[in-house]
Amino acid sequence: MNRTPDLLPGTLDLLILRTLQKDALHGWAISERIQEISEDVLQINQGSLYPALHRLEHRGWIEAEWAVSELGRRAKYYHLTASGRRQLAVEAREWERMANAIGRVMKLA
Amino acid sequence: MSMNLRDLKLRLRALIRPGQAERDLRDELSFHIEREARKLIDQGLPPEEAALTARARFGSETVAADQCRDQRGLAFFDNTVQDIQYALRTFWRAPLTALTIVGTVSLGLGVVAVLFTIVNTLLFRVDRVPDVDQIYAVQRPEVSDPSLAAFTKRHFDALRAETDVFTDTFAALTNIDLRVDGRMTAVNLVSADFFRVVRVQPVLGRTFTAADESEPGGNAVVVLSHKGWDRHFNKDPNVLGRRVTVNGAPFEIIGVMPEGLRGLEMSAPDLWAPLAQLAQFRPMHAGREDSVGIEIVGRLKPDVSKESARAQLAAWDSNQAPTAARTVGIELVPKRGTDPQPLAAVALFTPLFFAFGLILMIGCANVANLLLARGVARQREIGIRLSIGASRRRIVRQLLTESVLLALAAAAGGYVISRVALERAVTWMWRVMPMDLGDINLSVPAADWRVAVFLVVAAIGATAMFALIPALQATRIEPVRTLRGELVKDSQPGRARNVLIGVQVFASALLLICSAIFLRSAIASARFDPGIRTADTILLEAINEPKRAAMLRAFASESLITLHAAVRPPLLAPPRAGLADSGTGKNQVRYKFVSAAYFDVLGIQIVRGRPFTPAEGDAHPVAIVSESLARSLWPNGHGVGETFRIEADPSGGTSSGAMLNLDPRPNDEPPLAPRMVTVVGVARDVPGFRITDVREAGVFLPTSLETPKSAIVARVQGDPDLARQALIENLTRVDPNMGMLVTLRTVARLETFFLEIAFWVSVILGGLALLLTVSGLFSVLSYLVEQRTKEIGVRMALGASSQKVTRLMLAQTAGPVIVGLVAGGALAAALATVVLATPAGGLIAEIVHISDPVAYATSLAVIIVACLLAAWIPAARAAKIDPMRTLRQE
Repeated sequence: MNRTPDLLPGTLDLLILRTLQKDALHGWAISERIQEISEDVLQINQGSLYPALHRLEHRGWIEAEWAVSELGRRAKYYHLTASGRRQLAVEAREWERMANAIGRVMKLA
Repeated sequence: MSMNLRDLKLRLRALIRPGQAERDLRDELSFHIEREARKLIDQGLPPEEAALTARARFGSETVAADQCRDQRGLAFFDNTVQDIQYALRTFWRAPLTALTIVGTVSLGLGVVAVLFTIVNTLLFRVDRVPDVDQIYAVQRPEVSDPSLAAFTKRHFDALRAETDVFTDTFAALTNIDLRVDGRMTAVNLVSADFFRVVRVQPVLGRTFTAADESEPGGNAVVVLSHKGWDRHFNKDPNVLGRRVTVNGAPFEIIGVMPEGLRGLEMSAPDLWAPLAQLAQFRPMHAGREDSVGIEIVGRLKPDVSKESARAQLAAWDSNQAPTAARTVGIELVPKRGTDPQPLAAVALFTPLFFAFGLILMIGCANVANLLLARGVARQREIGIRLSIGASRRRIVRQLLTESVLLALAAAAGGYVISRVALERAVTWMWRVMPMDLGDINLSVPAADWRVAVFLVVAAIGATAMFALIPALQATRIEPVRTLRGELVKDSQPGRARNVLIGVQVFASALLLICSAIFLRSAIASARFDPGIRTADTILLEAINEPKRAAMLRAFASESLITLHAAVRPPLLAPPRAGLADSGTGKNQVRYKFVSAAYFDVLGIQIVRGRPFTPAEGDAHPVAIVSESLARSLWPNGHGVGETFRIEADPSGGTSSGAMLNLDPRPNDEPPLAPRMVTVVGVARDVPGFRITDVREAGVFLPTSLETPKSAIVARVQGDPDLARQALIENLTRVDPNMGMLVTLRTVARLETFFLEIAFWVSVILGGLALLLTVSGLFSVLSYLVEQRTKEIGVRMALGASSQKVTRLMLAQTAGPVIVGLVAGGALAAALATVVLATPAGGLIAEIVHISDPVAYATSLAVIIVACLLAAWIPAARAAKIDPMRTLRQE
């Protein structure tokens, strides 16, 4: 398997929050969505996705509901909470600033 | 980590319905894998392969689940619950092991806790008084002449007037035991400011005021302690205003103090009375109250340091004291209701802690042995857990939880054992204790939070030492090898085992030798004949002089009393020292005054001549001498009819060095006027009681019952204890404050009593030690036999006889047992030598036969037999091993 570089620390939370911005998704769908959109550049270690989801849930940024899935069995669907949205805005801004900064350094240094 | 409401809700859900949370987690993860598999199937993989690949991509489900649980934040709590469940399951699977560990450690802890409870009351149980650390007793250091060190009322008044270091100061005379309304009562006499110093308010009524001690005599009032209120008045709420009679005078109860206040003493008195009433409580001090030694205690001002206070008081004292005391100096001793000499108490209790601690140590050695054996079995379990992804930290935590659980159970067990043991011991002491000598302050020492903390800490310490370390060792293994069934043997359990056995045998030997010594000494002492009639005699001391005539009348009219006589000094005090001169120089002698019936009452035979006649009173120039004195004064004559001159020995004679001073009262009678006396009789030599060093005198001079300060010995009909009770009842009607009435049987038992206590303490400890050692030896050998079954089978198949195998197994333990025995015996002998070398050694040796070879031999033999028995059963089992069967198992 083609190993992808590890995500920058802290970015997994941002990615999850961003993915959940529009719809409620279950864990597998979240990882698929991230992989898909990043065109397979970002592959999420499945085992670390769930601890992250639980962590965000405990922080109160996302909430979960059990619903029947496309497989016909129940699955846990996560969606953003109000405070999750605020957190997403903060983290996105922070990320942008960081990305810009790195970009500038890469261009000029 | 921040805590928000949602978080709390999630945690609570996980906490309240852990099953639901766990199911959800499992569902969520398995859904993911199933969904991934579906995707792969959709991509064209066959279903089985898809399932496998999905699982592989996900990685360890267990680890992911574990990490999710960790997110619950209180994963700690969660894990703890799991650990506890796991530990309980482990205990449940091997209940005998868990029970053995808990039982053994609780036994050891219980024994040590008994001692700690006692030490706690002596050293740490500070009186319930606000800011007690500001309170100090003013003392002069102990010097050879106690009269120089004592403070009197005059010093107290001067200190209060002339120094400025205390906010309040009181003077006290404590530990006065006397009959109040016919019941033995502990009284502390205090000046009125006592209650201002302790700053404790009464629960009923009031405390003393300055008016209570204003003019000489003051008000006849007392304040009850909670203990006294309970013991004497059953917590009667209407006790205020009631009167108690002290030496004939009525005293009004004006207050009751709250529970817990001990008045800065280790044991609370029953009541406090104004120091101004001293003469009523101690009639012998009447008229010279100002020369009685008192204690001075004060509460230091908050802005005065102890050191500057000491300096100021020392300066003040050098203006007070007589010249000889000027160099003595001043000490400020904390007064908190604990032992004023903590160092002495520590010195006394250290060897006891050592002895009691040996039991705990032997128990722990057993546990360690057990765990060493079990550690091998556990390596496998731990190996499996490590290899399926448990972190080492997690396993150590699990083992830690197990140890703490065991420790807590052991601490609880130890608490129960210590309480039961203390209750039993006190009840037993009550039953066998010679009456009237200790019926004041003997109560079960209370356990408080310090005892609880001590137990928990000691329990955790013990289990950590003996359970956790072997367990930690067990996690340092290679999972793969253990799974393959290879046991990793880095350590050498065999050597550790031998050391443990040796230590156990050593400790049992030490304790059993002590118990054997005490037992044999107690038996010898019970057989010892003081030469005085003790079966039906009683002794009445400290009669109130004003009531003497009435008391004698009552005594004479008692039908229970068949004979009575006077003796001075009282029977339990050493005779006075005198010098006898029969014309050949002065001889040191001991003399006492006795009345006519004395020899008859005590059954002391007059071998020659006659006893005194009732007509011979104090001034009569006659004497009776003991056989041995007669021999030394008149080696050729037979004594009767000889004359000699007797006078007091100003040097006081050689000090008696009594172990117990049963007569603490000062010798304040006028010195014997020199006189010439004629010997009218020669009395048989009697050894007298040893423990109080009440040896019989060499010279007896006549006296009468009416002479002040004479005690009375009497012969009674029937059981002396019943007679004593009846007499107390009748005589307290004449004088409610009658002094000590004790049967001589009790006095005779006293000596045996202390040896008996020592014997029982050491025999219980020794027995426990032996029991634990034997059971430990038994289990170790059983384990060894089991472990070596194969080897033994091979040996037997190769022609070893069963005797040889038995011998082989026995030889395994012989080494450490012998080393332990020799070391234990040697240390006991060494300790004995040290004790004999101390100043008190001679006296102790007379009563306790420290180097009794029989005691050594029997206790060592007992241990050898017990160890042989313990080893024999597993060894015999080894001999019965069927070689064919063990070999077939290969």
